[in-house]
Amino acid sequence: MFKGILKAALAATAVLAVALPTAAFATDTLVWWDFLGGGDGVRMKALIDQFNKEHAGKIQIQATTLDWGTPFYTKVQTSTAVGQGPDIMTYHESRIPLGISTNVLSPITPAEMAASDIKASDFEPANWKKAQGPDGTQYAIPLDIHSIILYYNKTLLKQAGLLGDDGKPKGFDGVANWDAALAKLTTNGVIGLTVPTADNATMWRIFYTLLNQQDGVFFKDNKFLDGDNLDKATTAITEMNKWVKNGWTQSQTEYPASIAQFTSGKAAMMINGVWEVPTMVDLAKQGKLFDWGAVMVPTLYAHPATWADSHSFAIPNRQGNPETPAKRKEVLDTIHWFNEHSLFWATGGHLPAFKPVRDSNDFKQMKPNADYAALAATAVFDPVSTLAGVASPVYDAAGNYIMPAMNGDMAPADAASQMRDDLQGQVQQ
Amino acid sequence: MIKAKRGELLTAALLLAPFIVIYAVLFIYPSLRMVQVSFTNAPLIGDGHFVGLQNFNRLLHDRLFSTAIWDTVYFVVLSVIPSTILGLVVALGVNRLKGWAQSVALACFFLPYILPVSLVYRIWEWMLDKDFGIAQFAIMPFTGGAHVSIFRTIPFFMPAVGLITVWWLLGFNVLLFIAGLRNINREIYEAASLDGAGRWTQFRKITWPLIWPVTVLVLTIQFILQLKIFDQVYLFSDGGRQDATMVMVQYIYKQAFQQNHGGLGAAASLVLFVVIVVFSVLQFQLLRSRGSEP
Repeated sequence: MFKGILKAALAATAVLAVALPTAAFATDTLVWWDFLGGGDGVRMKALIDQFNKEHAGKIQIQATTLDWGTPFYTKVQTSTAVGQGPDIMTYHESRIPLGISTNVLSPITPAEMAASDIKASDFEPANWKKAQGPDGTQYAIPLDIHSIILYYNKTLLKQAGLLGDDGKPKGFDGVANWDAALAKLTTNGVIGLTVPTADNATMWRIFYTLLNQQDGVFFKDNKFLDGDNLDKATTAITEMNKWVKNGWTQSQTEYPASIAQFTSGKAAMMINGVWEVPTMVDLAKQGKLFDWGAVMVPTLYAHPATWADSHSFAIPNRQGNPETPAKRKEVLDTIHWFNEHSLFWATGGHLPAFKPVRDSNDFKQMKPNADYAALAATAVFDPVSTLAGVASPVYDAAGNYIMPAMNGDMAPADAASQMRDDLQGQVQQ
Repeated sequence: MIKAKRGELLTAALLLAPFIVIYAVLFIYPSLRMVQVSFTNAPLIGDGHFVGLQNFNRLLHDRLFSTAIWDTVYFVVLSVIPSTILGLVVALGVNRLKGWAQSVALACFFLPYILPVSLVYRIWEWMLDKDFGIAQFAIMPFTGGAHVSIFRTIPFFMPAVGLITVWWLLGFNVLLFIAGLRNINREIYEAASLDGAGRWTQFRKITWPLIWPVTVLVLTIQFILQLKIFDQVYLFSDGGRQDATMVMVQYIYKQAFQQNHGGLGAAASLVLFVVIVVFSVLQFQLLRSRGSEP
């Protein structure tokens, strides 16, 4: 009798052993790496869940979120070099030059893009071009454009007479008006503007915005801050330091402390990334936030301009273990799906890169995105250089020079010239 | 004399073989390769061309490299000596307690040691935060009410990180010292007090010499450990003036992982390796020989 049971058990196990893998083969797994933590990351997870639900039995995304910045990029680099790594990953467009030079990104051919209905005409030309190599090879597909904006407390602005009838700030254009507004708002224990003055990334974003508003150029023809661009850089840093010197902005404020200063009403305005919009939206929904709004960063100089970067999707260039053409088609189809559904991603504060979504009525009415969506037209992206991009030497230089200069520990002119010398010296290497 | 038989040698070799193989593959081989890479211009991953002493020449002229060396030395001074002295003081105190009081005291001092560095960073980052940290209440009396950002004020950075490191790793030293103190025979103390020796004399003539081997051990371990400091300095300086407070391992990380200069990073690693070996051996020999003087 035991022999009989044993035989049956063995047979059953054999059947299961064959059946299970076959069942698994029907669903293809896409390994996905991103660096999207925080409020917008929550939105992305919801979007992935929606994708998995719609594609149950066919494709399933297995997503992992890694630490933003150097940890993510070094992990991608080391894993692709040994043939491991994900099938699809998010990538900052500002890092693409370094990604190309370290052979991390797999080129995407025009035929592949056409097969998945991905068209250049669906994206902003500057955005699309930034995902290409110097010879025009496409290395990534944009997902969004994200930037810095001006968050403001409607109640406090109204009290200072700086709120227009449309609920938007008025009288902020031009340096003189901006400074006057900050001075007016800094009363009764309230500070006019809070900015993460201890965060190098924020320093870079504001500096780059002000530099480009003067039509300055940071990097061109292998030269940093050439000619009168150095003076424009000094002007930008001097202005940033003026806010701290006059007490309109506090020095050495850490990133989370800056958010807390704004949401607690201690500061009338805040310049920070669009990715903090979900933070404000969620607080407002719980009734814990005042009447707030967000607009494009005002134009202090000649022309409107705002620093921007773009999250894009890329395929890693796995050495010795490249993806099959069928897998690549799946990945590109998935990218197209996410672009078509980027309206929900926009609730994370970002602007969809996919024009059909951005031009749709649904997005045009999305608040507060609609209030600052205009910045996409005058957005300026990081310089195209292997020294630029997220967690790059340029970001480090912002921490080593712009940060102390804004906080009053270094003269603005010295900061600009030392930053130029530091970065220029690294170009020669 | 017992001569080792042939068979015993074979057994010994067989038992040692797994360790030797793993050690050779995971430590010896990569170290030799690192030395080789330091003479090339290799990127982080892949091979490069032989460039002789170019990397070392570059290090010699890199201002950031010398800053890294000085900052590392400064940090070692700030953390090794205080943590050793404090470890001994605490061990002496805890040793006087009895029963559950001793266990509780020991647990309190050892608790920070089990925390991972990321937690230590979060706790102290928020406690010392310029705008919302509770430690500001302790700082304000000295500055007339103004808040101070400890980690962004360069002269305060290293002392603060040193203090936090001492707080974090003290328990380990305390444990070692208590083990050493318990090894000293009670009768020696009794004999000394019968001869009229006071507390301080007892410490100077009995405790200090007899615990000297443990003190040397703690100093050497701490010295080697803190020369390789990275985590705390990297975390607390992130976002700000990293160049002003850079340490050796951070420099290596920046060159190799951020800037893709594998050869230069290997060269800097080799320099650090040599420094650690030379100074720790020197220190150990000096202290040991000093201790054995009558």
